[in-house]
Amino acid sequence: MTSLQRILYVEDEADIQAVAKLALEMVGGFEVKICSSGAEALRDAEGFAPQLLLLDVMMPGMDGPSTLAALRAIPSLSDVPAVFMTAKVQPAEVAHYKSMGAKDVIAKPFDPMGLADEIKRIWDRCHE
Amino acid sequence: MSNSQQAEIFAAHLNKLRNDYLAHLPDEIDALRALALQMAEHGVSPLSVDELHHRLHKLAGSGGTFGLPELSQQASLLERQVKGWLESAEVNESELSGFVASIAVLNGTIGQAEKTVNYVQQKGCDLPGDTITVWLVDDDLLLGQEVGRQLESFNYEVRLFSSLGEADEAAQTSAPDILLLDVLFEAESNNATEVLSLYEHLYGLLCPLIFISSYDDFESRVNASKLNAKGYFLKPLNVPRLVNRISHLIDQRRAPPAKVMIVDDDIELTEHFRLTLMAAGMRVSVLDKPRQLMAHIAEFRPELILMDMHMPDFSGPELAGVIRQYENWASLPIVYLSAETDLGKQIAAMDRGADDFLIKPISDAQLVAAVRVRVERSRQLEAQISRDSLTGLLKHASIKEAVDTEVLRARRNEKPTTVVMLDIDHFKTVNDRYGHATGDIVISSIAMLLRQRLRQSDILGRYGGEEFVVVLPDCDQLHAKQLMEEVREGFARLQFNHSGSTFSCTLSAGMAETSKHGSSDGEALLILADEALYAAKRGGRNQIREAV
Repeated sequence: MTSLQRILYVEDEADIQAVAKLALEMVGGFEVKICSSGAEALRDAEGFAPQLLLLDVMMPGMDGPSTLAALRAIPSLSDVPAVFMTAKVQPAEVAHYKSMGAKDVIAKPFDPMGLADEIKRIWDRCHE
Repeated sequence: MSNSQQAEIFAAHLNKLRNDYLAHLPDEIDALRALALQMAEHGVSPLSVDELHHRLHKLAGSGGTFGLPELSQQASLLERQVKGWLESAEVNESELSGFVASIAVLNGTIGQAEKTVNYVQQKGCDLPGDTITVWLVDDDLLLGQEVGRQLESFNYEVRLFSSLGEADEAAQTSAPDILLLDVLFEAESNNATEVLSLYEHLYGLLCPLIFISSYDDFESRVNASKLNAKGYFLKPLNVPRLVNRISHLIDQRRAPPAKVMIVDDDIELTEHFRLTLMAAGMRVSVLDKPRQLMAHIAEFRPELILMDMHMPDFSGPELAGVIRQYENWASLPIVYLSAETDLGKQIAAMDRGADDFLIKPISDAQLVAAVRVRVERSRQLEAQISRDSLTGLLKHASIKEAVDTEVLRARRNEKPTTVVMLDIDHFKTVNDRYGHATGDIVISSIAMLLRQRLRQSDILGRYGGEEFVVVLPDCDQLHAKQLMEEVREGFARLQFNHSGSTFSCTLSAGMAETSKHGSSDGEALLILADEALYAAKRGGRNQIREAV
């Protein structure tokens, strides 16, 4: 199994970007590319060649699900595993997000200490 | 770089981010307030509602990540309200001015994280526990009012709704601590266990959910279980039992953080464990000088010890043996954390007083789960040993011990502490007339009532059959009197059912305060309170007397 290195993270809020980047880089040892909007993600994603997509669900303009749909249209990103982050994690919603092609959903507010582990667990599960 | 150095640097970075966040938070709240004010004064545009919604949503998410759960919760309530406006494309003017005021409330939540400890100490005598809001949704209005009234005697704030739709509307702007739902709504011929998910706001509430129903059918019970309901009670409702479940659910959410002590000579690794457990909300203390083991335990009073097997001066099993020599720490869980993979050695170590063995390296999540589950179990066990099974209050011996400790503490701190002894009036008649099962309900009701009305620092015990002891630290006689009068009145209002007929009970109490009886120890104060109780009984019952 290849190990996870490059994560593309789409999130509009600067504070949360900073915490998540710190958590993923320092604790997880990943390389993280941050995009502040869906449009930015569409512009930069292909060049970065991410192994995993991490998307906030609720963003102004293009939200997480539509960003994912647009990214999926790029051939090299068509089956990169994706994970949503959202404050609303009712079981029905989780099922809905998964049906849109997300491997899993991470609840917000997330615990900075545990975020990298959670991502690793999801990654491992994708490659079992 | 080692793990622990990394954790330390990480924590430092995290702290810096948090400080930055806290620094610009007041500005963010000001901006929100300005936006809402502008809407109130100059009218509402779809764009401004959208922006408001978005900013509140961000606040709800970031508040939690930066350790401000209160802020996060408040912001998400407001977010829901604004979402309602977005969906109905209509904003009520009067609602807006209230909204501006609630934004100001957000400011108060910023200092919450640091203020929590002081807050509890400042509470003093006059504040009972925080109000718990219960929403009761039932189309049978008469029954709803009756149950509501009874729940209110237990100090719950009850809001009644006659339909799911009505409650759903309220859930857009506020949230209860407990949701009670009737199963069958006859007018709409709806089964709430089937249709709840259609009511988006009600369904989205994060509080515990309890169903009440006249029919015991398996399908509805399974549906309730799928909805993660925490109870399914049949009508006619046994209210004390329902209250018991509610207070249990609330207690669970309020459980104090686990206290863990780490004994390990590897400073870096210890630091990593400390950070990991603290990030999971636990309180952690590190012992680096094994000779001070017992003093450290007595001071910190851990609920679990994590210990390395091999340390330079003393081994883990040796230290565990020392701990087990002290009777009051005989049941303190001790868990070894070691790279020892030799099964024989592990078993030998367990023989010497340890409870379990965790193998290093261990993932953070595994460590947290292992510690949490053991602390929880030992709390349950502790509760079974020292607590009365009917009421959940301390038993005779434990409450006497607590009285002694608290009286000593009061003398040391030169603060008044009041000891109260109370007794149900004519309880024998209740037992004779309605049977012991009903008598038990009366007894557990008073226990729950006391728990509801008093502070968390107050100590409650079942002293004998229908006799109870309450210790109120930092509380003088005057305040204690007010508090107990509330309890007395609340108890007299409770209605008990016995095969169709209802009855109520009263109580009498006697109290004694430390500063009024200078040299008395715990035992002597209990006797004084008992004498005052008998004076109350002789004086006609249903009253509270102070010791002379």
